[in-house]
Amino acid sequence: MTEKILLEIRGLSMRFGGLRAVDDVTMDLRAGIVTALVGPNGAGKTTLFNLITGHLAPTEGDVTWRGASLLGKPSWMIARNGIARSFQDLRLFTHMTVEENILTVMERSSWLWQPGGSSRRHAQRAKVEEILDAVGLADKREVRAIDLAYAERKFLSLARIMATDAEVWLLDEPASGLDRGSYERFCALLRAHVDRGITVCLIEHNLDIVISLSDRIAFLDQGRLLADGEPQSVLNDPHLSSIYFGERAA
Amino acid sequence: MLAYLVNLTTLVAINVILAVTLNFVIGYAGIFSLAHAAFFGIGAYAAAYVAMHFTTDFLACVAVAMVLTGLVSLALAMPALRVRGEYFVAASLGLQILAVTVFTEWKSVTGGIGGVVGIPSPTIFGRPIVGTTAFMVLALVCLAITLAIIAALVRSAFGRNLKAIRDSESAAGAFGKQVALIKTFSVVISSSLAAVAGALYAFYLSFINVESFTLDTSVLIMAMVIIGGAGTLAGPIIGAVLLLVLPSALSYLWFLPPTEIGSIQQILYGLALVLLMIFYPGGLAGALTRGAGKDRQGDREAGAVKA
Amino acid sequence: MLLLQLLINGLQVGAIYALTAVGFSLVFGSTKIFHVAHGAAFTIAGYIFYMLTVKAGAHWLVGLAGSTVAVLAFGVLIDRLVYAPIERHEGSFFTVFVASLGVATIVQNLIGTMFGRGFVSVSTPLSKGVEVVQGVYVSPLVGISVVCGIGCFLALHLFLTRTHVGMALRALGENRDLVRAYGLNPRNLSTLALALGSLLVVPGAVIAAASSGLNPAIGAHVMLISIAATIVGGVGSLVGAACGGLLLGMAENLAHWGLASQWSEAITFVVLLLFIIFRPAGFFGSAIKT
Repeated sequence: MTEKILLEIRGLSMRFGGLRAVDDVTMDLRAGIVTALVGPNGAGKTTLFNLITGHLAPTEGDVTWRGASLLGKPSWMIARNGIARSFQDLRLFTHMTVEENILTVMERSSWLWQPGGSSRRHAQRAKVEEILDAVGLADKREVRAIDLAYAERKFLSLARIMATDAEVWLLDEPASGLDRGSYERFCALLRAHVDRGITVCLIEHNLDIVISLSDRIAFLDQGRLLADGEPQSVLNDPHLSSIYFGERAA
Repeated sequence: MLAYLVNLTTLVAINVILAVTLNFVIGYAGIFSLAHAAFFGIGAYAAAYVAMHFTTDFLACVAVAMVLTGLVSLALAMPALRVRGEYFVAASLGLQILAVTVFTEWKSVTGGIGGVVGIPSPTIFGRPIVGTTAFMVLALVCLAITLAIIAALVRSAFGRNLKAIRDSESAAGAFGKQVALIKTFSVVISSSLAAVAGALYAFYLSFINVESFTLDTSVLIMAMVIIGGAGTLAGPIIGAVLLLVLPSALSYLWFLPPTEIGSIQQILYGLALVLLMIFYPGGLAGALTRGAGKDRQGDREAGAVKA
Repeated sequence: MLLLQLLINGLQVGAIYALTAVGFSLVFGSTKIFHVAHGAAFTIAGYIFYMLTVKAGAHWLVGLAGSTVAVLAFGVLIDRLVYAPIERHEGSFFTVFVASLGVATIVQNLIGTMFGRGFVSVSTPLSKGVEVVQGVYVSPLVGISVVCGIGCFLALHLFLTRTHVGMALRALGENRDLVRAYGLNPRNLSTLALALGSLLVVPGAVIAAASSGLNPAIGAHVMLISIAATIVGGVGSLVGAACGGLLLGMAENLAHWGLASQWSEAITFVVLLLFIIFRPAGFFGSAIKT
């Protein structure tokens, strides 16, 4: 693994009362590859995302981005550094149209006017069109997010991330519940972006998806990072599969 | 009859400004303020004070009223919007009650319970605005400007920022939105525009006292927004017109004791709020557009079949 | 001496506030209903007591029983008729809050129409102060308030920690599904929370009727105090709400040292704002960020 390290996680812990949701995790996200976070329910995968994006403050440890600490920064600032994420429960802008959902992500200024004037606006419109076509929502642009079908919502969630200029995408179960066709479309989209240099970290339960998409697997259980390496070596570890499948079976 | 209509139109215009500006924070930003009457009052007292002590120029009075109200709302919003939504409700309720105390007790500026009497007629570029018709035109112009500002804001990138925060605060943050800043900004805009209504009100009646700016008024404005339909442009207008025409309709009911009409009105608003929340949480405009939305969807499906 | 007098007055008011705030906090903490009509329950309790004892001339125990029954009915009815149907279809914070505000408005104006908008009070020899030290008057009501406050709080505490239903009620705030898993109906628990919360206003309302008096707008004041005390004490903590109420009652009365009495509500607001700025989690609260 010679890829450049973008995001470093060092000794990260998060305790809720007595519960250690994330326990002394140290790992890196390397540029241009897909890392899958795998582990049973309650292993701390989503909590790890929340710690990286500033939605939670860790009790111990540090997260650095290109060498600078992200600790204590608000989530909007971390997002503007180039880290985009999706949510397991999607959290779309439900009462806005598909088009507005995508457009608002591109509009960075908090003030009344957006910088860049009309040329910037045209460029944004063009990019919205491009994204709408890519995710197959072009004919739903005027539909409110809340009125979309399930798979369409998942694609809108992805479209929002595509609209950012982020270099790192943190995807929380992006493919769960997709039918075969949608799933293949999703994989193709993700691959295309990874080829263009996007770094992806995704949480996924379906091991077929993990194997076909990821270059690297990080295995979490009860908040601890048990393994971190090539997909085959992690998945062939009998101890890990007993944890994983034992929990699944139960 | 004409005089009555002119009077009603002016009052409706003032109240629509209040409802539309409150809707901007409730319906688009998802912030629930109980202090709108306080901002209305600060605007009114500020305009009255300027008019009686410095200049009767309407634009100058409005400018002072807007800046002062904007600053007070900033002081409220900056701390209270950093934390959960309930905190803002509580803080705004507190400010509303504090404002009533200040309006009653700060006698040198507000005239205490008796209020400010004899506010002079305003002038615009040196020309006095005299007569109820001229005043109605002024109120309608102010209303049109306010509506235009709000409509433009809602359709702009700023409006999308607000709606994104309303729909999911955490997702908005994850996409780089400065949630607290944007919310604070929206409260300041809404409050300073409410001050315009305050200035109009002070000049129109040439007399103001604390009774117009109590918690009951805040609840009334909120009722206008919600009964009409929060988060729509037409909703608060419908609501304001409806709730202002209601008292005159009630006064035609001979069997009601005239002294109790105020209370009966309030009871009806309260009842309307409760029933709407149970049956149509989107308000009247929400109920209407939901119906229309279904039709549109029907059309689209029909179109698809044809295609 | 004045300071001592104000402290004693603050204790009486604070005990009432504490109990009332605990009622609000109990409802909000366990059901997440922002029950601003809690103030309306207070008004109802006070006026029913006034109506039965002064207007109808009944014994004070009858008045007490009457207002207890009335607020219980109020709590159960508002939950069943207003909150339950709203929660069935969406139950956003806002919808419930507006409906509750609507109920508060209805009650305030109904009471105003029936009893007039002025102050009413129940006169009793208990509110007459006895000079204990020179210049310091203490009425038996102070003792009654404090004893009632502590007694009710202890009873509530025992109920919540020792009984099966009480524990379920506490669990409701943390995890609705857990409650369901234990075979209890969250809706019924919610009604219970409303009934209990409303019950807690009775001592305060009756003592207020016998001391400072009642007016129809008192509900708004009680609502502000309850919400402020809940935030000052920390959302989700009953002890916190009680301390918050006590602190606000004290602050309000101590403010008389330098300020006219009309400013007492302003003091509440200042305390609340200071907490929101410097310690938004309150005394005992934890999570506050969205």
